[in-house]
Amino acid sequence: MKRISVDIGGTFTDCFFVWDDQYIEAKALTTHHNLALGFNEALDLACKRAGLDRGTVLETVDSVRYATTLGTNALIERKGPKVGAIVTHGFEDTIPLSRGRGYGEGLDNSMQQNLPAAERPEPLVPRHLIRSVRERVNSAGTVVARLDPRDVRNVVRELVDAGAEAVVVSLTNATENPEHELQIQEIILEEFPAHELGAIPVLLGHQVSGRKGEYVRATSTIVDAFLHEIMFHALSQLSNNLREYGYSKPMLVIHNSGGMAQMNSTDALQTIHSGPIAGVGAAEHLSSETGLGHVISTDMGGTSFDIGLVPEGGVKHYDFLPTIDRWLVSVPMVHLDTLGAGGGSIASYDRIHNAIKIGPESAGSNPGPACYDRGGLRPTVTDADLLLGYLDPDNYANGYIKLNPKRSRFAIEETLCDELDLDVLEVVKQIKRGVDEQMAIGIGKELRVRGYLPEDFTMLAYGGNGPLHACGIAKHAGIKRVLAPPFSSVFSACGAGNMKQLHFHERGAHVVLYNATTRGLYDKYDEFNAIVEELEKRGLEDLVRQGFDAEDVQFRLELDMRYGNQLLTQAVSLELNRINGVGDVLDVIRTFGDVYSHRFGANCAAPEAGIRVGTIRVASFVDGDVVRFDSLEHGGTRTVPEPVTHREVHFVDHDGALATPIYDQRALTHGHVIPGPAIVTTENTTFLVEPGWRLEPTQQGAVWFLQD
Amino acid sequence: MTAITNDPQPLTEQEQTWVDQFMDETTLFLGPDPEIMRSHSIAGRSVYEDACIAKGVDRATVERVRKRVAGALDEGYEMCEAQGAAPGAKWGDLTTAIYTAAGDVSYLSCHGVIAFSAILHHPIRYIMKYWKDEPTVGVHPGDGFIHNDARFGNVHNTDQSMIMPVMRDGEIIAWVAATIHEGENGACEPGGMPSGSETAFDDGLRMSPFKIVEKGHLRRDLLTFLQHSVRDPKLQLADLKVKIGSVNRIMERVDALIDEVGVEAFVAALRVTIEDVDAEVRRRISELPDGTVSFNQFMDSTLKENILIKLACKIHIEGDKMTVDLRGTGPEILNRAINSPLCSVKSMFMQAILAFWWPDLPRCTSAMSCIEIISDEGTWADASYDAPMGQSLQASFRGFSAFQSLYGKMQFSTPNKYSNVVANWFNQINTFLWGGITQHGDTVGNLCADLNGMPGGAKPFKDGEDSVSPLFCAMADTAEQEVMEEEVPFMQLVSKRLVRDNMGFGKFTGGMGYEMIVASEGTPHWGFMTVTSGAKFSSIYGMFGGYGCGTYPLATVKGVNVYDAIREDPSKFDLSMEKVMNEQPFDGGKYATHHMGLQFDVAKDGELYMIAQGAGGGYGDPLERDPEAVLKDIELNRITAKVARDIFAVAYDEATLRLDADATAELRTQARRDRLGRGRPYQEFVDSWVTEEPPADLLYYGSWGDDTDDLTATIFEIDGPRRVKAPIGELPIIMIPDRRELKIAELEAQVARLEAKHGETVHRLA
Repeated sequence: MKRISVDIGGTFTDCFFVWDDQYIEAKALTTHHNLALGFNEALDLACKRAGLDRGTVLETVDSVRYATTLGTNALIERKGPKVGAIVTHGFEDTIPLSRGRGYGEGLDNSMQQNLPAAERPEPLVPRHLIRSVRERVNSAGTVVARLDPRDVRNVVRELVDAGAEAVVVSLTNATENPEHELQIQEIILEEFPAHELGAIPVLLGHQVSGRKGEYVRATSTIVDAFLHEIMFHALSQLSNNLREYGYSKPMLVIHNSGGMAQMNSTDALQTIHSGPIAGVGAAEHLSSETGLGHVISTDMGGTSFDIGLVPEGGVKHYDFLPTIDRWLVSVPMVHLDTLGAGGGSIASYDRIHNAIKIGPESAGSNPGPACYDRGGLRPTVTDADLLLGYLDPDNYANGYIKLNPKRSRFAIEETLCDELDLDVLEVVKQIKRGVDEQMAIGIGKELRVRGYLPEDFTMLAYGGNGPLHACGIAKHAGIKRVLAPPFSSVFSACGAGNMKQLHFHERGAHVVLYNATTRGLYDKYDEFNAIVEELEKRGLEDLVRQGFDAEDVQFRLELDMRYGNQLLTQAVSLELNRINGVGDVLDVIRTFGDVYSHRFGANCAAPEAGIRVGTIRVASFVDGDVVRFDSLEHGGTRTVPEPVTHREVHFVDHDGALATPIYDQRALTHGHVIPGPAIVTTENTTFLVEPGWRLEPTQQGAVWFLQD
Repeated sequence: MTAITNDPQPLTEQEQTWVDQFMDETTLFLGPDPEIMRSHSIAGRSVYEDACIAKGVDRATVERVRKRVAGALDEGYEMCEAQGAAPGAKWGDLTTAIYTAAGDVSYLSCHGVIAFSAILHHPIRYIMKYWKDEPTVGVHPGDGFIHNDARFGNVHNTDQSMIMPVMRDGEIIAWVAATIHEGENGACEPGGMPSGSETAFDDGLRMSPFKIVEKGHLRRDLLTFLQHSVRDPKLQLADLKVKIGSVNRIMERVDALIDEVGVEAFVAALRVTIEDVDAEVRRRISELPDGTVSFNQFMDSTLKENILIKLACKIHIEGDKMTVDLRGTGPEILNRAINSPLCSVKSMFMQAILAFWWPDLPRCTSAMSCIEIISDEGTWADASYDAPMGQSLQASFRGFSAFQSLYGKMQFSTPNKYSNVVANWFNQINTFLWGGITQHGDTVGNLCADLNGMPGGAKPFKDGEDSVSPLFCAMADTAEQEVMEEEVPFMQLVSKRLVRDNMGFGKFTGGMGYEMIVASEGTPHWGFMTVTSGAKFSSIYGMFGGYGCGTYPLATVKGVNVYDAIREDPSKFDLSMEKVMNEQPFDGGKYATHHMGLQFDVAKDGELYMIAQGAGGGYGDPLERDPEAVLKDIELNRITAKVARDIFAVAYDEATLRLDADATAELRTQARRDRLGRGRPYQEFVDSWVTEEPPADLLYYGSWGDDTDDLTATIFEIDGPRRVKAPIGELPIIMIPDRRELKIAELEAQVARLEAKHGETVHRLA
């Protein structure tokens, strides 16, 4: 296998390069003005490490895969065209009103709860670019009010006159009957043919999301339209760069559904958060390859803590209505929970409880923690880590940032010590314990609401601050094993290297498997199977268009199910692909009951209230080559390496400083064991081995944190 | 000679024991306990709490317990929201909380309705006082108590709670509870908030706290009884299971936490948290300037007939002491649904304090504990046991508005601000309640989640948010109509469209509300109702010169199937209340407007019902509004040219919307001059304006003027209505005659007049 996988982040472009048996990591700074430059630099570094040249590599590799945060950044910076929207008569303010709670989407709890401060974000489609057409379809897909083409032409002209550069058409109940959306598209194409200057892209709601919910579908389509142009240009730039250097195959783009596709089969919306989600994908693959069992992946950086859930046995957890930036959208996205806690989280005095509050405010990277000496005056988690002795002031971030402990001490004394009547040491210990516990609570909640127990999980810790807080978080969460995974510095890029070509197609449906009123079981098998067949057909077309043989395409049927009128629609993956009798119906009901009871508890299922399907979804995919991970065995005969030096270090549950051995990268060699307390400082991170833990490095740079 | 006196002789100790024993043995049933229900203060430290705290409180441990409990409560909240079947649960109208053994809320889930939990200390104290040691009941590990009766401590009867004890070594050390707005509760109208209830018995299920889960097992006999008592037995079952599951999940986390930190540290942490908040509230009160501020509000209907009833509220501050005085509030009306128990009004005070005054404050009972509240029992905001309370929110939401508005005044000049000053948030449940048989054959009764789209008030520096989360719950959601339509047999033909001019005008304008037009189709039986006041007298006032919300009617088009008309001629699908009522496009339809209290009204296929959310209050003088902002509103069709000219005094070119700055300045100068011209010296104004009593033809209830000792009310006697004025304790019972009977009497009188005139006798049915 020869493959290049790249994760373009806000700061770094990570490259994971596979050349037969060689797995190579490389990093370069992201070049926002032209992403290809950063890519080339990272690739050149990888080629150099493999003793190859860029041209040979690009001519030879089987694929180049991208995960990118480009779309996320464009949304935050509001870089996009003027998008106009056409909606159903009577729904003119559905988009700007954003379901009432739109002011708080994407904000932390304290801001969500602060109603007097509620402010909706600047809209992606301003109100003057929204028009309605007189048409209405009911929930069964029957036309109640026919569309009037003259009405449509007037509205389209008004929008174009008002400056719309792209048009979103999102009509009520169009998922049940898209006839009117298609008619409007046809009219716009007649008015503004694609081959003429001034042609405007048209995006239809039912094609972006097949799920019910007029607001979320419209928003999804708007985000897609808003990002379409910038994503197209940026990805084209990358694609042209590849072509220039001899790569002739289609470029593959990682999707937030946990799969990937060619550029021409990718919606902009599907690329959001694809980098972190590729990391979750890597965790999943690592777990299945090495038999890790249940895994929780954690990525702790400067401002946030991402949690991904990878249970054993391939159970998938998706968010079907995720929040992207400040917008609630409808797209099946691999579940990823983000907590506002990282090295930059600010520690402040909580007067009411006479205690320390950590976050949600963050000092970010500018001014950053007080110890960065860039003007930050408020103490952060990183300041506490420094004063506890965990960080080497001269070798932080590979020596790029010199840390000033005096600044940390000053900030803590000024803002916390006097108020709490505690000395600096006690305060920084409380900060360390507090932030670890906060993240552990996040992990615990994440697992338990889905029916899992933290003690059954292995925690993967990566990101700049992951190995530093791993022991503390695991201890509070009740997790006994932590793994800093192989290739952890480019873990998301590594995940991109394992993705399958995968497409989801879904459709809202009202299938009553058990009607509690009539006490009848579902029997319209042909109707159900016809929907599945249609969804499979669309998936097959997607993959065949990308050059795969039809016989290689596999399908997985998933249903979103609920009891009675619940809001919850639990995703259930099925073994079967068709329903052909009462036995199949009962089988589906049983599977749902098992999944539901596992999540909420044995007595929580309420089949007596009826059992319904809200969405039918088909995952269409083809298997491909994957990265091989070496065994992650720990234990056996191991030796303790020689430390580089010793330092006085403080730990939360220990009075007084402990003389702690300090190691460098060389200590992380397979066959070593490093008993805690110990610190290992590497180019990308710091491994803190707390007392009662030990470090056991293994193959491919992976490192176990194990509790004694 | 021995003097004869009527003073009773004091009983001896022995006699008192006999009397007590007799009374105990002859108790008919246990009602709400005034000692429990009148108090909103935290309980004193128990001996055990005292002992736990005496062992030393480690602040870091308290913080740890706080975080862990908060995580557990959020976990439970998410379970309820995800699994809940009630529309309320789906859109965030629920909460989970943990209480001390005495019932004081120590922590609440991050999301959800604060008021739900802030009021549950009443039923918990009731359980502790009456059921804990009662041999036929008792409290054991795994037991769960259900409750919904507002008279025992609830916002209103649609909300059902599951309350379970945390026990160690046979002792109760805490309580965990989950509450969901369930909606349907078997009341006389579907949806659980009957505007038509005329007796307490019309309010539906009235569950005083009783044990429905025994040692971990849900009692099927009681469950069956409840299911038979409501219109939606599936909902009753499913959500009961959800609440039990959620509370059990929280209990698991709490048990693990207690194992980790120990019982004493846990108990101490719950108690210390409450006391911390109590101390902080006193400190914040002392930051406010001493003095008295007042805010009087009026409701314009009983939801059946037009009246004007007052909710009076004064806040007095002296040092760290705050007193809230509700005296002068109108009397309860014993056969109308608008009455509220005092605890419900207080719960909305709590909502205002924790969500709008001090949103950074931890959510504890103690946030209001030190505030004294003076209220006369027997008023509509402090209703008695027999009063119907189906629409108690009418009084309690006004309680919220009073607190919100008064805080703007109290903290105007304080250096420390804990939140933005905001003019009144819209305060009405303005949505359709519905019920009947769905297209799937299910019998249901509930409401549209649009009630959660309440427009926000203006801030001193920014316009208010258009229909946004409601005053009672941050992040509460409005529904997706497509999802609703799948479940119920009606469409919102107009779902979300802001109504022009529907804003509180001001330097900064209040948020706008949207209109909704609904019509059912394809159901054997369906109906709608509305439960709002404000059709004639606005429920929302402006702040510091800003305008309040306008009034908003209900409009209907009956006797015609608009679906048929639209199918035949799609150009008729051009609906707004303004257009439909002015142009009357559907031939044969009967067009009517009503006040906003519509009792359950049977809807035939295609009959239109039209309402609009109101608006948030405006802030500051409209003449100070940036003229460009006015033009932007014109451009977006948010206001009419008339409003731009008459209210904001802005001149512009109607074709290009270009501002005419000079003419605007002139208009505004003239408007100010006109104001001065209309002005009168204060005494002159008082002499011309103030009357001894309300207009004679007005059904007015409450104090009149500054005197709050006497209440004015119209009572109905055999000779008809009579106005009285007396202290609340001396007022006779007030019941308003059935308007249909009045109408019949009026028609009969008319018939009699005609008979007399024409010498003819009309034969009537017996």
